[in-house]
Amino acid sequence: MAELEFVDLSLKIGGRLLLDSITLRVAAGEFVALIGPNGAGKTTLLKTALALRRPSSGRVRVANVNAAELDARKRASLIAWLPQHIRAEEPVTGLQSVAAARYRFRESHAQSERAAERALARVGASAYAGRRVTELSGGERQRVAFACLIAQEAEILLFDEPANHLDPAQQLEVYRLLGELWREGRSILCINHDVNLLHHVGDAARLRVVGLRAGGLAFDAPFDSAALPAHLGELFGIELEAVRGSEQRFILPRARSQS
Amino acid sequence: MKSRALLILVSCLALLLAAVLVGPRLEGAQGQFIVWQLRVPRVLVGMLVGGTLALVGAVFQALFQNPLATSDTVGTTAGATVGALFALVLDSSRTVQGLPLVTVCAFVGALSGSLLVASFASSRSAHSSDVLLAGIAVTLATSALASGIQYVSDSRALFAATQWSLGQLPQVGYRGVLLLAPLCALSCSLLLLLTRPLQAFALGEDLAHSQGVDVPRLRLFALGLGSLGVAACVAWCGPIAFVGLIVPHLVRRLLGSSYRVLLPMSLFVGAALLVSCDAFARLIVPGRELPVGIVTAALGAPTLVFLVARGRR
Repeated sequence: MAELEFVDLSLKIGGRLLLDSITLRVAAGEFVALIGPNGAGKTTLLKTALALRRPSSGRVRVANVNAAELDARKRASLIAWLPQHIRAEEPVTGLQSVAAARYRFRESHAQSERAAERALARVGASAYAGRRVTELSGGERQRVAFACLIAQEAEILLFDEPANHLDPAQQLEVYRLLGELWREGRSILCINHDVNLLHHVGDAARLRVVGLRAGGLAFDAPFDSAALPAHLGELFGIELEAVRGSEQRFILPRARSQS
Repeated sequence: MKSRALLILVSCLALLLAAVLVGPRLEGAQGQFIVWQLRVPRVLVGMLVGGTLALVGAVFQALFQNPLATSDTVGTTAGATVGALFALVLDSSRTVQGLPLVTVCAFVGALSGSLLVASFASSRSAHSSDVLLAGIAVTLATSALASGIQYVSDSRALFAATQWSLGQLPQVGYRGVLLLAPLCALSCSLLLLLTRPLQAFALGEDLAHSQGVDVPRLRLFALGLGSLGVAACVAWCGPIAFVGLIVPHLVRRLLGSSYRVLLPMSLFVGAALLVSCDAFARLIVPGRELPVGIVTAALGAPTLVFLVARGRR
């Protein structure tokens, strides 16, 4: 179990402040959903945790070690990432892609392939094992990348809009899988746009939602708090309404009155 | 897939054997001499050069995630050209420790060109596209330098430089083979060890980084090793076009993108292709030899267009 901590983190590129003194802690075994308008700095924040972006000031601590000081293989054992866009120009097969994600393990090629098969089966993507990623659709490719993340067996998982490109049934499936990984003890930081999907993670009372606006923290609230609809409405500048379903509360935009 | 790989391997061996045997009928002691002292070492040089160029091409294409990347892209050839030109203008007949001055200067030029790019590539913040740009910048700068040297040189040196830039397998005997072999073997065998991290690059550099690949270190290592092998080849043979570009594409089409197959097979196919092209260059015009660079270029361009067109389907 490992925790991820951003301490007074700022990132400035070419005079533009992309992240503005962010302090945020994802405790070991916690699930935090990150939400915010486009360009708020959500993806950039994840990239600082992966040491893909170097902060201008402040620190990122992964399992109590400064992210920039972690050896690459060690970092990969602590933290894994599902990016929003998956490059696919090299015609590798699904199985080859997932086996390559086992880079951090010192093991034989056959062992990598067996682990890759298990990971693909877990995300329901066994059918793509022999197909080239260049021939897969966006959603299918997303699932191969999800299998890569699982095969890496890291303790902290970062997701960048994992429901992107997916049809409704697959979206539910992905969020259910997120819940499974979380209950296995992983710490999760997940960018998402539709808060209602979080119901499918389960344990709604333990989820946290963090809002990001213009590089800074806007709010940090429990998923089931009464104030969440108002926070989200303010964040996006729209009017939201909480609607009670038979078991869950949905947060939906109110239609603007015609006048 | 396995049987197909085996078939390709057997065809490569057959081509290599045929390259030694084709040619005018040879008999007696003179024939023995031509086969053992001229043809065999030349085929060996061709194997070393073709294999190295193709493998380095495959590695660089993976490293830069760019299907057009080759050793030419990172300043190796451009540096060698300036070095060779410099030597030809200075004095083409001079030797250093028994080696032609042209070869020595081309080798030094090739290494300096690629080291400039490699030093840039080792920066933590550099992305692959930045490194490619650095390669283009070095190529442009050296070609300006080359033009400057050409401007002050005489016509004899210019003719020699043009001849050199066509690329050909020289008659260097076993001594040339012995000088070339260790550098090529070192470069190729260490590059083959990078199969696993390079495979992780297939879904993008950033994802490979997150999976534990030390990207700047891998880039520096691959660039340094690749340039070393290619510098040795270019120093002896001049720039031989297209082998590094088309062979990896050809192998990828036939056998897929598993680098455990792609990298070693590029090595074999590159060796067989260059040796066959050279045999063809020896025979196509009776009584004369064409530089093999002309044959690979003439063959390479349409092959590349064909491969790209088929890939688009």
